[in-house]
Amino acid sequence: MSFAAPVFAWVGVAVALALVALHLLAWRRPPTIPLPTARFAPEAPARMVSPAVRPADLALLALRVLLVGLISAALAGPRFPSRAHSTARVMVVDRSHGPEAWSEIDRTARSAFRPGDALVLFDSVARQVRNPTADSIAATTVSESGSMSAALILAIRAATELQRARDSVEIVVVSPFGSDEMDAASASIRRIWPGRVRAVRAGAPPNDTTPARRVDVRARPGDAVAAALALAGTTSPGAVRVIRDAITPVDGAWARDGGAVVVWPAAAPEGWQIRAAIDTAFGVTVISAASASPTGSARPATVVAPFARRVAPPPGQVVARWDDGDPAATELALGAGCVRSVAVDVPTTGDLALTPAFRRFAEQLARPCVSSRVWMPVSDSVLSAVLPASILPDSIVHLPARHDSQSDSSIAAWMLAAAMAAALVELLVRRGAANATA
Amino acid sequence: MRERRGSRDEDRQGRQDQGGSSPETRGSLLDAIRGVKWPALRPVGGVLPGAHHSRLRGAAPELSEYRVYRQGDDPKRIDWRLLARSDRAYIRLTEDRSIVPTMLVVDATASMAFPERSLAKWRAACDIAIGLAAVAHTSRDPVGMVVVSASGMRQLPSRTRRGIVGELARALDDIAPGGTLPIAPAMSGMQVRIRVAVISDFLGDAADVRRRAGEIAAAGGEVHAVHVVADAELDPPRRSVLAVDPEDASLARPFFAESRAAYLERFAAWRSELSASWRAEGLSYTLARVSEPAEWVVRRVAGAALGMGRAVPPDARSEVR
Repeated sequence: MSFAAPVFAWVGVAVALALVALHLLAWRRPPTIPLPTARFAPEAPARMVSPAVRPADLALLALRVLLVGLISAALAGPRFPSRAHSTARVMVVDRSHGPEAWSEIDRTARSAFRPGDALVLFDSVARQVRNPTADSIAATTVSESGSMSAALILAIRAATELQRARDSVEIVVVSPFGSDEMDAASASIRRIWPGRVRAVRAGAPPNDTTPARRVDVRARPGDAVAAALALAGTTSPGAVRVIRDAITPVDGAWARDGGAVVVWPAAAPEGWQIRAAIDTAFGVTVISAASASPTGSARPATVVAPFARRVAPPPGQVVARWDDGDPAATELALGAGCVRSVAVDVPTTGDLALTPAFRRFAEQLARPCVSSRVWMPVSDSVLSAVLPASILPDSIVHLPARHDSQSDSSIAAWMLAAAMAAALVELLVRRGAANATA
Repeated sequence: MRERRGSRDEDRQGRQDQGGSSPETRGSLLDAIRGVKWPALRPVGGVLPGAHHSRLRGAAPELSEYRVYRQGDDPKRIDWRLLARSDRAYIRLTEDRSIVPTMLVVDATASMAFPERSLAKWRAACDIAIGLAAVAHTSRDPVGMVVVSASGMRQLPSRTRRGIVGELARALDDIAPGGTLPIAPAMSGMQVRIRVAVISDFLGDAADVRRRAGEIAAAGGEVHAVHVVADAELDPPRRSVLAVDPEDASLARPFFAESRAAYLERFAAWRSELSASWRAEGLSYTLARVSEPAEWVVRRVAGAALGMGRAVPPDARSEVR
């Protein structure tokens, strides 16, 4: 038998010992002796604290210790080993998505969780819950983004520890598997664990049916950036609007609703800071433009070419820099979306816009906002590639709901009921003892 | 284990309180006080011949002085030889000796039945009473006794016959201490010019007893207070106990470190006050510890006539020893 919260068991032991000590130091009448000159002793209560070798009121003491033991055991959550649980599991639960996704993740994880499973919760960081219960799944905060690699590392560590005592260990990952959670290391980390990994998708439908939308570009005909984006065939799971002229109030309202407005003016716009000296930069790099994709297309994109630098982008989070480190593009959050300002003057002559480097550069800048909650689930094929199951060909399974945790909960409930009964008996015995003393 | 330790303490206390002697061993007590005189505190006014100086002068063989014959004197007391030699009539004056009726008032209330097992306090009081009776009987004084116990007052009138001491001893052996009757009424109705010895622990009606003793002394008698104190009363147990007054079960006082010190202080102050109040009225007061031999107490009481002018503190018993 083990306890889900052993601290309550220890507290119960401490309280029981304190009870025994109190019964050894009970108020009692000392032994009576006749003394004719007793009148000369000062008046004082006839009952006094006196230590004793044998505890007083053994029945009461036994009832009180039983009461404390039952309550502490019920609060500690006793768990009994079962043959059905001989296969240890490491539950990896994703906590990086919003409440709308979390409800389904929580329900799925609870149904899959069995007493004795190790539990790893992750969002941007992963942590293992010691002595987990089904209620431990909800005992964490939700972060903006998740890291599957960090969760897999911790899960493999926990699985290795479990493998010493169990015959077989499998890792069960419950997540919507958003594209922002996967990175290039996820597949490599998965291959470290030779055992079975089951991916349980919850909280989002497979993205195979999610339609991707093309980037909306507002530019004059023959615009170089529009041509580059058209050649790149850029699509976006979120709403992205690239405008080559000045931003309008309509664009601002659209950004507040969650869209990403990329202001990439063809001419120097009003309000932007004019650089002190117009110079030429020979390279520009996108360093952080948008959420990553499992395909690795979020790599930094660099264009090496002479660019005339006339203006500086407004202050904000830098998403692209010139080769000398100056900001080339910034992003500013606006409502649920953002406005990305790009101060890269694309030459109207030449074929720079048609080069693959510039196409990737424009593609990276035309991605959703960094802080956008819009995420895209990876496809089942990508998920199978990143988290392959070692045995089953179809690694994506849907676990049936289990009710094993109810047995332990019922034990705790019965213990609490027994504690209440013991409290009633203790009350009766205490009253009886008081009447007998009186 | 605590109970066994408590039992051992009581046994030890009981052995310390083995002050009294059994009826079979009282012979040693009587041997120890043989020859002890118990003179009256002041000249007595009795007419029966005895061992105490009398205020009267009569025809005893012991010459005191001559006085010129006056009309009304008994002609039988004229010293005829002196008349023949000097032709003057003188009468012989002699110092008469008389008896002092002695009454022993013995407290046999419940407080004297202590400790419960040995009754050493009561037995010590009995030994002291028998010793004083024997000493008084040696001086041919009539000796009587009043015992106050649960069954009431048992009075044995003063007698001078030979077996009176034995009668008193048997009477005391037949009495079991108990009850809470006052002692002062036992001192009422006594004849004047009597010697009274009150053997008690004075935990009852001590004030009334002292008042009655003062009345007896004012009437020409003398009163001796023999205060019997058990060792357990002077040195109560050091363990935590609840002390209950045997004469009043509702009076229960706990004993622990602080209360024990206060008890010792209060008890000593009470004994000093009791001693001072008796001596302030010209009465004799003697403290008798249960653990000391009864003959020592008897000798101190009998020697009170010599030391009445000296103030002896009640706790100076060991110094006297």
